[in-house]
Amino acid sequence: MAATRVMASAGNAVSTPQSLNLCFKNGRLLTQKKRLFFVNNNSSKKLMLSVVHSFPCAHRSCRFTTTVRAESTNGSEPSANYDFDLFTIGAGSGGVRASRFAANFGAKVAVCELPFATVSSDSAGGVGGTCVLRGCVPKKLLVYASKFSHEFEESGGFGWSYDAEPKHDWSTLIANKNAELQRLVGIYKNILKNSGAMLLEGRGKIVDPHTVDINGKLYSAKNILIAVGGRPFIPDIPGSEYAIDSDAALDLPSKPKKIAIVGGGYIAVEFAGIFNGLKSGVHVFIRQKKLLRGFDEEVRDFLGEQMSLRGINIHSEETPQAIVKSSDGLLSLKTNKGTVDGFTHVMFATGRKPNTKNLGLEAVGVNLSINGAIEVDEFSRTSVPSIWAVGDVTDRINLTPVALMEGGALAKTLFANEPTKPDHSAVPCAVFSQPPIGQVGLTEDQAVKEYGDIDVYTSNFRPLKATLSGLPDRVFMKLIVCAKTNKVIGLHMCGEESAEIVQGFAIAVKAGLTKADFDATIGIHPTAAEEFVTMRTPTRKIRSAPSEGKSDSDAKAAAGV
Amino acid sequence: MYLSWTWVFWPWAAAIAIGAYDLYSLSRHLKGEATLAEQLAIVTSTLTWLTLVPPAHFTGGGVCCGLREADRHLEVIVKSRPLSRSDRCSFDRFFSFGGRRAGSTRCICGAGSPVAAVRSWRLLCLLDFLCSVLPSFVSSPPVDPSRPRDGSGRRLYSLSWRSGQAPSVAFATRLLLRPMDQFSFLIKSEGSLLVHLQQDRTQASEVESHYDFDLFVIGAGSGGVRASRFSAQNGAKVGICELPFHPISSEVIGGVGGTCVIRGCVPKKILVYGASFGPELEDARNYGWDVNERIDFNWKKLLQKKTKEIHRLNGIYKRLLSGAGVKLFEGEGRVIGPNEVEVIQLDGTKISYSAKYILIATGSRAQRPPIPGQELGITSDEALSLEELPKHAVILGGGYIAVEFASIWRGMGAKVDLFYRKELPLRGFDNEMREVVAKNLEGRGVNLHPGTSLSELAKTEGGIKVRTDHGEEIVADVVLFATGRAPNSKRLNLEAVGVELDKAGAIKVNQYSQTNVPSIWAIGDVTNRMNLTPVALMEGTYFANTVFGGKPMTPDYSNIACAVFWYYRLFPLESLFHSLCGSKGCSIPPLSVVGLSEQEAVEKANGDILIFTSTFNPMKNTISGRQEKTMMKLIVDAETDKVLGASMCGPDAAEIMQGIAIALKCGATKAQFDSTVGIHPSAAEEFVTMRSVTRRVSGGKPRTNL
Repeated sequence: MAATRVMASAGNAVSTPQSLNLCFKNGRLLTQKKRLFFVNNNSSKKLMLSVVHSFPCAHRSCRFTTTVRAESTNGSEPSANYDFDLFTIGAGSGGVRASRFAANFGAKVAVCELPFATVSSDSAGGVGGTCVLRGCVPKKLLVYASKFSHEFEESGGFGWSYDAEPKHDWSTLIANKNAELQRLVGIYKNILKNSGAMLLEGRGKIVDPHTVDINGKLYSAKNILIAVGGRPFIPDIPGSEYAIDSDAALDLPSKPKKIAIVGGGYIAVEFAGIFNGLKSGVHVFIRQKKLLRGFDEEVRDFLGEQMSLRGINIHSEETPQAIVKSSDGLLSLKTNKGTVDGFTHVMFATGRKPNTKNLGLEAVGVNLSINGAIEVDEFSRTSVPSIWAVGDVTDRINLTPVALMEGGALAKTLFANEPTKPDHSAVPCAVFSQPPIGQVGLTEDQAVKEYGDIDVYTSNFRPLKATLSGLPDRVFMKLIVCAKTNKVIGLHMCGEESAEIVQGFAIAVKAGLTKADFDATIGIHPTAAEEFVTMRTPTRKIRSAPSEGKSDSDAKAAAGV
Repeated sequence: MYLSWTWVFWPWAAAIAIGAYDLYSLSRHLKGEATLAEQLAIVTSTLTWLTLVPPAHFTGGGVCCGLREADRHLEVIVKSRPLSRSDRCSFDRFFSFGGRRAGSTRCICGAGSPVAAVRSWRLLCLLDFLCSVLPSFVSSPPVDPSRPRDGSGRRLYSLSWRSGQAPSVAFATRLLLRPMDQFSFLIKSEGSLLVHLQQDRTQASEVESHYDFDLFVIGAGSGGVRASRFSAQNGAKVGICELPFHPISSEVIGGVGGTCVIRGCVPKKILVYGASFGPELEDARNYGWDVNERIDFNWKKLLQKKTKEIHRLNGIYKRLLSGAGVKLFEGEGRVIGPNEVEVIQLDGTKISYSAKYILIATGSRAQRPPIPGQELGITSDEALSLEELPKHAVILGGGYIAVEFASIWRGMGAKVDLFYRKELPLRGFDNEMREVVAKNLEGRGVNLHPGTSLSELAKTEGGIKVRTDHGEEIVADVVLFATGRAPNSKRLNLEAVGVELDKAGAIKVNQYSQTNVPSIWAIGDVTNRMNLTPVALMEGTYFANTVFGGKPMTPDYSNIACAVFWYYRLFPLESLFHSLCGSKGCSIPPLSVVGLSEQEAVEKANGDILIFTSTFNPMKNTISGRQEKTMMKLIVDAETDKVLGASMCGPDAAEIMQGIAIALKCGATKAQFDSTVGIHPSAAEEFVTMRSVTRRVSGGKPRTNL
């Protein structure tokens, strides 16, 4: 029966030896609807024959192609009859990307996702995942909304005036935001549907290396992909039940009058900017001296300064110890340094944890790291050969585009016969604080550690817009160049439009271009970005101290002479 | 125990102390404050160096060394007999004698042996040290005016020395060289040294120079200021003249800073910023902001602030000049001889100065078309300083200036009619992008009149009556001519000294910006090459490097031609900024391009061209409800995968394009774009996530039918 179907389909099919590989690659592929790969050619008869024979002796015919071997190590047991080629748990950025691409490559794909809700939990999620529902997208919409107040201030210097101070209505914003999110969820569902992947609603649980349980129903799959992402984490301190996380902060019923934000990471600074822009009183509590650990030191200093100038109170080296609710319903936050009270909201932005609980991972033997992230190899494969994982759940670089890259690479590895490692080097990223940060490559500290000798170019200037608006806004830019190779190994910016500006430079950094290449490029005048191609003199040159190494080689040379 | 400790300690301590004293002396010497004792210390330590580190590998071992100008650095070639291989060390810049930064920054070992590398490195250190210390001890160098010169005015000296007498090289050179001399030397064979000594010394040129200035620049705009500053930094004595300051230029009015600062980029961008708040206010409403209906826009206040800002910049430019040691004259400059300039001062007195080189950087000025009533219209100069905001403006022209002003005024609520001769505005840009711009303009309520020109203006009671060549009549209160700019070359007396101009009045120059009169050079808009501020800056830098930067050898012409080709091709060009609209909230998004347009690519490419386009609704618009799509486009050579052109029309296009420009300049491939991870969520990430080809166009030569 299978053979006749193949013969029928081979009529419209196949040409190159490579696509022949593809047919074989998935052995079963031929029995499914994989006509896509077949292009007609004059040897189609031969092909059909080998296909027909391949069933009783799949292994032998496989040996014709070199690539098949890789496939058979990919956990595809011969002759197993699975419901799906790929079963993805979690329809966020990574899961949707991997599923779509896999389906486009001809795999039979199913995706499961929890029902939609704006606040995530063990039983709620939604197609689109964190990025669309509780992350990048809603956040950026709120950032847009909050930036207007700064623009109102700026506009004064440009001749604009208002009868009354513009006021913000929180409910309009949230309603419009949620309408937009619903639209995006619909788009994501459509994308999945159009690619041919089957979407199932419910909580997926792994039963064995090839079986997933959804609401009691079992599905078998050749490969299982875990892309369940992460969730905000609130540390257990007295009164933590009064605290909200970023999920809730994006969907509050009313605007906070005065909010405490605990944490110094990018989520904390972004929300600080949002609520400050919407005229809430904002207090940020950080354990460290500075915001944004892991970012370049100078950028951290600069952002802290700019945020303070815009009216955000930053309490550094203050660790929260308890939240107390007073009789008037207001919250006070007790820290190691004292108590600040009068908060309507206390938000914790103290990190995110991978959603690996209750997935049945331990039972099937998938290794987890200490913080609960799934351990994977460079192809995103877990310790169980048929189970794979991408995105935040693996806690590599927790960014949407990285999950997309990992998902895309995985689909290629599994179904396009093209083992692809996601490349985690020179990943650019942005923080939508106000002003925003964009960066790609290494920080100064990392660069010194890795390369030793570096040249650092910085520029700290007042943009043209600020000269008229009279606001204390500044822009900071930094280039880190390897002294030996002249390559630009790090690029950082804090100032308006940083995110947009850094993207193009990321291509240059990723391509390994040198400072000379930057210099040879003509600026676009008058922009802020042109500063990156007009930095002439290094602010400082960092050289590893005249080490023994040098005198050592000197001595050797003398001996040689 | 104690003994052994002293044994280790004292020799080191002594060495460190002596070394420290030497360093101190050296630093004093470089500042020119060294006393005799300190100078002696330097000499002693130099000699010690030479003795302690026998330059056997330098000469004694039969070594031949030379300096060669490579592409961007100087190569020092060291041949060592025992190892019989050639080691090459590179310097980032030339040795400049007496220069403080004659140091080595890079040391490359060509042959690969670590021993050889260290040798070469040490050789360089020695040379460097000698070069920076010794020459200044010679009070009067034996400059011999009768020496033959080579093509670029350098005198050639031949010296010989015998094997094993390495210091004689330094000795010989120090007899010849003085601070600021540019030199290179080549040891042709063992025992003979050929020194190229550039006698075009700019400072300390009393011996042969009788000029008031080494360089006199006419025009202190972007190009002129850059060229004079950089020349002065290279040691030249520089004078510059500029007309008195006023926002509106004329034959006798200009201002330090030039078009860019006073009548171009800067004031325009300020108006664009000011204008862009209108649509922002519109957008804010759907984001939950309750903005009062009565928003007031005070044009006079903006204008005042703008004028204040350009005054400030004017001051900064003046300080830049004086800081660099450039003498600024206020007045109109004229060329009265190949080496003579006349400055007509404000009170009418004329002073003439002689200069070894004259640089013309007078820029250009907006032109009016020769039609009846043209005096009733204004140019972009006046448009940036209008007393009142126009209610109904007519703009003639389809270039970027016309489109920018159409956006600005339409944004401020004026009725705008835009007339241009072609089918679409912005000739020369990518046709698809031109369509997008035209659509956006129309969408904002600018009345477009393609294929139409103005034939007559007349004054009426209601304003200026404009008649088109199609016979239509419109009454407007402002008519702006944005029909191009002409080089400011008329009153410079150039014909009299024989400088060639082209038909448009632009000064003809070669790749080095030199006119047909060898001592007269020209950069910037007056040469009408590519009229952009950063290009003028580039040309200015290039001029200073060529004439005063001491490139001792003539650059390779073929490479230069190629470089110039790309140099002029790969300009990121930004044209339209945001602008605004009071009533219906419309910001016309900017257009920014780099590299080739689609039609240029098709023309130039040999094979097929892949076009990637992306048209999307920017995230901000999803809530604000603004109906305006952003468009991005990549043009890729199908065969080589190189990205030939990129363009974008949408918010922040100019900022986004700068980074893309670097990638293009360096020949990045589409695969490299694709391998870059996006920044989410941004508009710019679209440039690295364009996966599917929109269309394939076969370009260039017809392909064989196979």
